[in-house]
Amino acid sequence: MNPDTLQALTGWVPLVLPEVILVAAACVLFLGATVKAGRDVWATAALVALAAAALAAWLGPRSEPPTQAALFASPVLIDHLALLVKVLAFVGGALLVLLSWHEVPDRQAAEYFACLLVIVAGTALVGSANELITLFLALEMISIPTYVLLYLPKHDNASQEAAMKYFLLSIFSSGLLLFGFSYLYGLTGTTNLPALVQALASAGQGGVPAVGLVALVMVVAGLGFRITAVPFHFYAPDVYQGTSTGAAALLAFVPKVAGFVALVRVLGFAPQALILEDLALSRVSPGLVLGPQVSTLFWILAAATMTLGNVLALLQDNLKRLLAYSGVAHAGYMLIGLAVAPYLSEGKAPVAGGVEAVLFYLAAYGAMTLGAFAVIAYLHTPQRPVETVDDLAGLSRDRPGVALLMAVFLLSLIGIPLTGGFAGKLLLFLGAMALRADSGADAAMLEQARLFRLLGLIGALNAAVGAWYYLRVLAAMYLRNPVRPVEGRRGWPALAAVCLCALATVALGVYPWPLLRSAQEAVPRLARERAER
Amino acid sequence: MNDLFSSLIPLSLAVPAVGAALAAALGPRRGPAVRAVALAATLVTLALVLTVAVQFASLAPNPDAPARTFDPRLATAVSLLPLGNGPGVQFFVGVDGLSVWLALLTAVLMVPAVLVSWAAITERVNEFYAWLLLLQVGMIGVFFAFDIVLFYVFFELTLVPLFFLIGIWGGSNRRHAAQKFFIYTLTGSLVTLLGVLGVVLVCYYNSPEKELTFSIPRLVQSVQERLATGTAAELGYWRTVQVYVFLALMAGFAVKVPLVPLHTWLPLAHVEAPTAGSVLLAGVLLKIGTYGFLRLCVPLAPDAALSLGVPLVGTLAVIGVIYGAFCALAQSDIKKLVAYSSVSHLGICMLGMFALNEVGLAGSLVQMVNHGLSTGGLFLLVGMLYERYHTREMADYGGMAAKLKLLGVAMVFVCLSSAGLPGLNGFWGEVFSLMGIAKATAPGLTPAAMATLTALGATGVVLGAWYLMTMLRRVFFGPLKEPPHEGHGPVGDLNGRELAALAPIGILCVLLGVYPQPFFDVASRDLKVVAGIADDARERARMIEAGNAAAAERAALAAGEEKR
Repeated sequence: MNPDTLQALTGWVPLVLPEVILVAAACVLFLGATVKAGRDVWATAALVALAAAALAAWLGPRSEPPTQAALFASPVLIDHLALLVKVLAFVGGALLVLLSWHEVPDRQAAEYFACLLVIVAGTALVGSANELITLFLALEMISIPTYVLLYLPKHDNASQEAAMKYFLLSIFSSGLLLFGFSYLYGLTGTTNLPALVQALASAGQGGVPAVGLVALVMVVAGLGFRITAVPFHFYAPDVYQGTSTGAAALLAFVPKVAGFVALVRVLGFAPQALILEDLALSRVSPGLVLGPQVSTLFWILAAATMTLGNVLALLQDNLKRLLAYSGVAHAGYMLIGLAVAPYLSEGKAPVAGGVEAVLFYLAAYGAMTLGAFAVIAYLHTPQRPVETVDDLAGLSRDRPGVALLMAVFLLSLIGIPLTGGFAGKLLLFLGAMALRADSGADAAMLEQARLFRLLGLIGALNAAVGAWYYLRVLAAMYLRNPVRPVEGRRGWPALAAVCLCALATVALGVYPWPLLRSAQEAVPRLARERAER
Repeated sequence: MNDLFSSLIPLSLAVPAVGAALAAALGPRRGPAVRAVALAATLVTLALVLTVAVQFASLAPNPDAPARTFDPRLATAVSLLPLGNGPGVQFFVGVDGLSVWLALLTAVLMVPAVLVSWAAITERVNEFYAWLLLLQVGMIGVFFAFDIVLFYVFFELTLVPLFFLIGIWGGSNRRHAAQKFFIYTLTGSLVTLLGVLGVVLVCYYNSPEKELTFSIPRLVQSVQERLATGTAAELGYWRTVQVYVFLALMAGFAVKVPLVPLHTWLPLAHVEAPTAGSVLLAGVLLKIGTYGFLRLCVPLAPDAALSLGVPLVGTLAVIGVIYGAFCALAQSDIKKLVAYSSVSHLGICMLGMFALNEVGLAGSLVQMVNHGLSTGGLFLLVGMLYERYHTREMADYGGMAAKLKLLGVAMVFVCLSSAGLPGLNGFWGEVFSLMGIAKATAPGLTPAAMATLTALGATGVVLGAWYLMTMLRRVFFGPLKEPPHEGHGPVGDLNGRELAALAPIGILCVLLGVYPQPFFDVASRDLKVVAGIADDARERARMIEAGNAAAAERAALAAGEEKR
């Protein structure tokens, strides 16, 4: 075996140092729980661990650009996409710690934050996974602690049902995913992702066999559960409603990041430059290695997910259910990005490609949704629950500041300019409109362009439908008189989370370029422009 | 020197924004301070915009500017989102002949809007003025924006403050009105967003140097160049694209104008809104719709504007003129009457615009400003009356001119201006708009059709005088009949603050009525641009018709040969 490959096979430990730090810290927390109870200690410890992991990721080794050996042998790869996912995971993790700081009972604080750290480690690892096995393990590192998290805080019937429902469906989806992975392995004889994409691409010239489609459907179904794509979404409202606010916020954000990044990795939406060249040689667009049906599948999923999510959200009175369906709808918008991505990846697209838009939208979605959950966490107390839309009535009179920040999140979810939600939708819609549809395009392309424009229109109309239920919350806060004044004030950490999310939401809306640039770096493009037609 | 003046435009956006933050920060209990801040911010903004307008009027036209596109002066451009190879989305503001008067109108109308709320708004004062000032940022921004995404950003930003203004400080049915307004406008404008993106991308793919631009002047120029130099096949493609672009852009603007049948949000929103909200809604926000047509729809889709403009928009506008007038006539609530009169007046404005000749466009532009002044004034006066008696039912009033002399005089004056009395501003808008449509030519439309449209449009003017005079007769003349007003304190005539609110509107009405020349001089360069673009489209349509006729002739000849 050549020494480079050997090095790549054995030298991966430094590459996962941040994750190791987080898991080690989690172990300390689990053990510490037997010695000392208290949320302040363990939440602080969790924040310190996250900071240490972030520092390790910042100073740690990068594999950019990856060597041939690292690409095809190393189980993990620290490329730009991995770094971006790590940032999302660590920042999201810190926000989640702040958000649930005062919600977790002192007795369970250590276990709660330990589970959270393992979940963050798993999310970070999904970003750098370069192997089907690593990827699957990373996804399970997210799932298993989530079961504990869902079960920990409350012990009423709704919470038990939520935990059970999530557990069973999650196991089922993992099974589907593993089944899909086994087909992929059977097709290509490798678990290494770049090699897998490469093999599928070269097979793609003669057409991927039908088993490829089975693998595609299984992988998308397994990951669709995590991103709450219709029809794998139906657990979300019940689970969000039944569990604590912190856990619901976690479910709304972390699995979506992991699911979308895993889809991008497995289906080869963002292959490394070396692989891109192979794809170009075999005339296969990134993301279409399993056949052109990939795009069609995502088209249908996107249209169904956003429409169903928005329409069902109209009927909700419970805030967490509403946010659950809103999460479904936003997953639908993001799926637009994956549907168009293969057609915008040839290095000549005038706009941010589909995957970049999805990565951007994930960050914006995280900021606004975590913010909305943080507001609920901040205001909710057992004596004065904040569960339904009516519970927020007249908030602008009691707490003008918090109401204003909640308004920022809601406006961002609607997609009003100067917020991250608008910038994200702008990029996604630009992608949907960006296929060339004039005399310079061939007939197949023309048909695709028409379909994607239709998808853009469906998206725009959905955004208008979505406005209706966000507006209901906004109207309750500003246009109605308080029914019962909000008394809750769950300490500074939740408020800090609210403020940080609002800052991020507005910053992403006013000046989206820095994040978009890092998203563009994360999706490699062929250096030499392919000849313009 | 011009650098200094061009910095005034961003400044005129920053001043109300800072004023809003300041007003909000002062808290609900410091009413007088909040009002003072708001008034100061609007006055400073007015001074800034006035300086910009005067400076713009004094600038010699730029000889190097391309003839078929807008030429923003005093411009500032900072790249925000460098997509593509160029500057991408920019913060690109400037001023030209189409926007200068509308921006000035906004700045002028803000002063009465602040003054009229002085005593009327007593609850959550700080929030009220903060939203009002934010609304001003959005409105002025729309007119100064020369980047298409920035335009859209400001366009959408006007939604949020008005939602709160109507929803919090409105009448009894305010929540429903606010939500309906928001959803209607948002739905339309999301489709507009797709149209905007579509136009940008089509221009990108078809420009020889693959330039991705979001700048409105560049986009307009690019469209005209492609249309001027395209081969027959390319032109065919462009004609289809333009229809889609026109319809998509129109979706948002037609809701805003509003064109019948998309107008149903308007009477509700107007009636429920607080006076300041109604003044700005009628005075400025509806103009954003007509301005959008003028700035984007016509120049970016000229062929579609020509072929769809009169049959589609013109017809809807005429229906609006007549339908709005009859609805106004049928109202018993004064505010609803004024609201429906807007539908009617803006129909005339749209009719003038889609005449697509210089006279019609000039009439349309002056009609926008006129309608802002007169209807703004009407809403102010109705608000003042309501403040005194807490009713808007015409049946409750009678002979008020005897009791409230100054208010009566002001009302008669504004009604005459709105009805288009020669010597006042309304006259020019209606006359030029109707002259424009009477002379308009478009492919496939006979002069008889145009004459019918003109006649129907003119009916609206007559009906306008009718419902306004009816309202005056019932409320202000005849035997005195005061609504019961126990508990509201003694009712007096207009006070100094109210006079100050009305004075600028009255002065401008007379000024525009007797000496409108400077208005047209300043706007003429950019009106000529739009008219020129439309003329090119007419020429292309004529060529196609000639080509078709020739082909038909050839076909007929060939058929004849065969027969023989």
